[in-house]
Amino acid sequence: MSTRHILLGLLARGPSHGYDLKRRHDERFPQARPLAYGQVYTTLQRLVRDGLAEVDATEADSGPERTVYRSTDEGARELAEWAGGIAPPAPFVTNEIFAKLVVSILADGDPAAYLRAQRTAHMDRMRELTALKTAPGADLSTVLSADYALNHLDADLRWMTTTAARLTHLTAEVDPA
Amino acid sequence: MSENHPGPVPLLAARGLVKAHGRTRALRGASLELREGEILAVTGASGSGKSTLLHCLAGIARPDEGSVTYAGERLDRLPEKRLSELRRTDFGVVFQFGQLIPELTAVDNVALPLLLAGTGRGEARARAGEWLERFGVRGQEEQRPGELSGGQAQRVSLARALVTGPRVVFADEPTGALDSLASEQVMTALVHTARESGTAVLLITHDAQTAAYADREVTLEDGVVVSGAGAPLGVSR
Amino acid sequence: MKSLANDLRLAYLLTRGSDRREWWRVTLTALGAALATGFGLAATVLASLQGRYRLPVGNGLLDNPGERSGVILTLLLLLVPVLGFLGQCARVGAVHRDRRLAGLRLAGASVGQVRRIAALETGIACLIGSLVVTVFFVLFLLREWHSPSALAWAGIALVSLGVPALGALVSVLALRRVVASPLGWVRRVGPSTGRGPQWVFLGALALLVLVALAAVAATNMNMPDHTFSHAPLTVCGALLAVGAGAVLFSGGVSKLTGRLLSGRTGNPAALIAAERLREDPWASARTHAAVLMGTVAGSGFLGVRAVLVATMAEPVHLARPDGFYLAGLNLTAAAILVGFVITLFALAVGTAESLATRRRGLAAQVAAGVPYEVLGRALLLETALPLLPSLLVAGAGGTGIAFTYALVLGGGSVLPFDALLVPVVVFGACVLAAATSLPLLRRSVRPAELRYA
Repeated sequence: MSTRHILLGLLARGPSHGYDLKRRHDERFPQARPLAYGQVYTTLQRLVRDGLAEVDATEADSGPERTVYRSTDEGARELAEWAGGIAPPAPFVTNEIFAKLVVSILADGDPAAYLRAQRTAHMDRMRELTALKTAPGADLSTVLSADYALNHLDADLRWMTTTAARLTHLTAEVDPA
Repeated sequence: MSENHPGPVPLLAARGLVKAHGRTRALRGASLELREGEILAVTGASGSGKSTLLHCLAGIARPDEGSVTYAGERLDRLPEKRLSELRRTDFGVVFQFGQLIPELTAVDNVALPLLLAGTGRGEARARAGEWLERFGVRGQEEQRPGELSGGQAQRVSLARALVTGPRVVFADEPTGALDSLASEQVMTALVHTARESGTAVLLITHDAQTAAYADREVTLEDGVVVSGAGAPLGVSR
Repeated sequence: MKSLANDLRLAYLLTRGSDRREWWRVTLTALGAALATGFGLAATVLASLQGRYRLPVGNGLLDNPGERSGVILTLLLLLVPVLGFLGQCARVGAVHRDRRLAGLRLAGASVGQVRRIAALETGIACLIGSLVVTVFFVLFLLREWHSPSALAWAGIALVSLGVPALGALVSVLALRRVVASPLGWVRRVGPSTGRGPQWVFLGALALLVLVALAAVAATNMNMPDHTFSHAPLTVCGALLAVGAGAVLFSGGVSKLTGRLLSGRTGNPAALIAAERLREDPWASARTHAAVLMGTVAGSGFLGVRAVLVATMAEPVHLARPDGFYLAGLNLTAAAILVGFVITLFALAVGTAESLATRRRGLAAQVAAGVPYEVLGRALLLETALPLLPSLLVAGAGGTGIAFTYALVLGGGSVLPFDALLVPVVVFGACVLAAATSLPLLRRSVRPAELRYA
């Protein structure tokens, strides 16, 4: 995910300062990893360096000094290009579960027990996400991003279910001895 | 497993259930506990005995061996007449489809359990109407099940299952025939109402996203409850 | 020929692999065809006789063309309940059959092929029934009549082959919607609705009347006085009108009863029955029409009989010995009874079928705690509710005929009060016929049905 473009997108609504951008980001994308303030600050500086954003003003009326940034025309162009372009369907999914399974077979571990434990962990997380989205007053952003995570976890689960059923074949293939 | 959580006395408990359909043994010693107000998901592959387990727990079928205890009463020993009454008053059932009478309008379908209990037509219809409104099926009261979408029909089924204020709702693949948005609406309606009224729910599903609405999950494999996951009641929320 | 053999094999394979209820349909259809053939053959052979004979059977009732016409007419009228019965039989397992044929169509079978398979299925069932009866009939005929005329043989051949042909034709007609838009039938889960007032049944009735007229005309030919009375024509016309009226009336009453009751009742059984009537008022119109016609005929007959018996008791000289009249009366009574029994059978089959088709839904109701008793009461009410007002009207009509006849021809010496009992007895018998499926309710509506969604 491109933090640059997301910040540019948040700036598209008008000039804003770093802390405000972080707050709006976390609010808009509740299931994403929260942005660190330092990351926001460095990204903004890079945007200025590349001519995609510029400093609008510096406020210091109350409390600490705040730099307000705004998007440039080039920034708007870049943003439109990024937002319209497709996200590449991930060609290489990092499948940690599969790697652990194979390693477990190679090291004479208990892959079936691992799968069961992993399944339980996945279900626990899915229950948490479901509770989050069904909580009274959950907004649509929360519901949609929880759904996104739920669908991915569900895909993992389905894969684990079919894999569990084919574990003997996999063991024979990985460890022919 | 449920035994690990020192909780209150279970509302519904099954011990060592065995049930055969002809030569196939659908249940081979399944045990399960459902506590008051708890939402429990029973998952498992097709043919693992989920529906048979629900039928035994709800007093729809009698197990060949083992016991089912509901609120201190042995369901497997009750006469059919009493079981039927219990299913009418204390239990509610929701199936994948088919529990609505196709010739009755939505509101009459929901009013039916009340009519069976001797409530007058006018009052029964009014109360049924309130439930339909609550589940977002307003304006379709006078339509027959065939004229409703799958999700609407299923929410009418929920209203019918809940209208008598049951202590346990048995739901057998309630979202089995629905798309994900309709599933979400049905499950949200079920879970919210159950929590509000303290109704226990036994939810049979093969779908993980549906199972995730529950407080706790147990898995059936070849007619035996093999594993459970999930926090005890009240911890996850 | 090769494609026909292929279709035949397909029809056989499909029927063999199908539900047990489809075998019920085939068996019952064969039975209905057998009945139709039996009545048809008797009527045809009698119609092939022209002028006066001395026949060894029938107490002299068959000797003269006048009485013979009456007998032929009665035999053909018996086809009305048989038609109703066949109509009910066609419904047994019909949902499955329709779905199966629609599936065949989706699998790439041509329209013609599906029609041929459907026609073969019904046609062969009818052929078996008709052939069995024909064999016995011919054996009986050869014993009583040493050399039947060529006309009689032609008639026998026509009836024994015509019944299966007609059966096949009707089954193709009934399937036209399935064949035209198969997808809707494969996907359909609810009950089929909107049957309309049974045009196939009415068409068959009209055909029957034409045949009756022709038969009566044939047997009256070559008579010296050549009096072809208008009575048969009038009777046939009246019966057609009464039959059509009965179907429409019965359907209308069902609809009205359903509508009136469904809005008011607080009784769950009555509510279910009323909504089912409102949804498909024509479902039982055929059988109910036959019940109504039987009631009119039954109470009317009792009036005529009372007067005739009273006349015989008087020392008045009658044209024929008493036995002649008694044989006529008994034959008519037998015909009415046979017709009524067939109708009751059709009613029982219809109720059982409606139960069997809905057994999964009913099992869900039982699972949800709806007591068997409520479902059973709903089933009985479904028969009883529309029948009660219809029977009152039919009973009043029949009793009216009886009393009019007694007052006008018998001078009011005897009043046929027993005619008043007919609608009551008919009503009771119909409810009992419907009640024969109650054991089926407990047996077939089980939680095991819930397992196959």
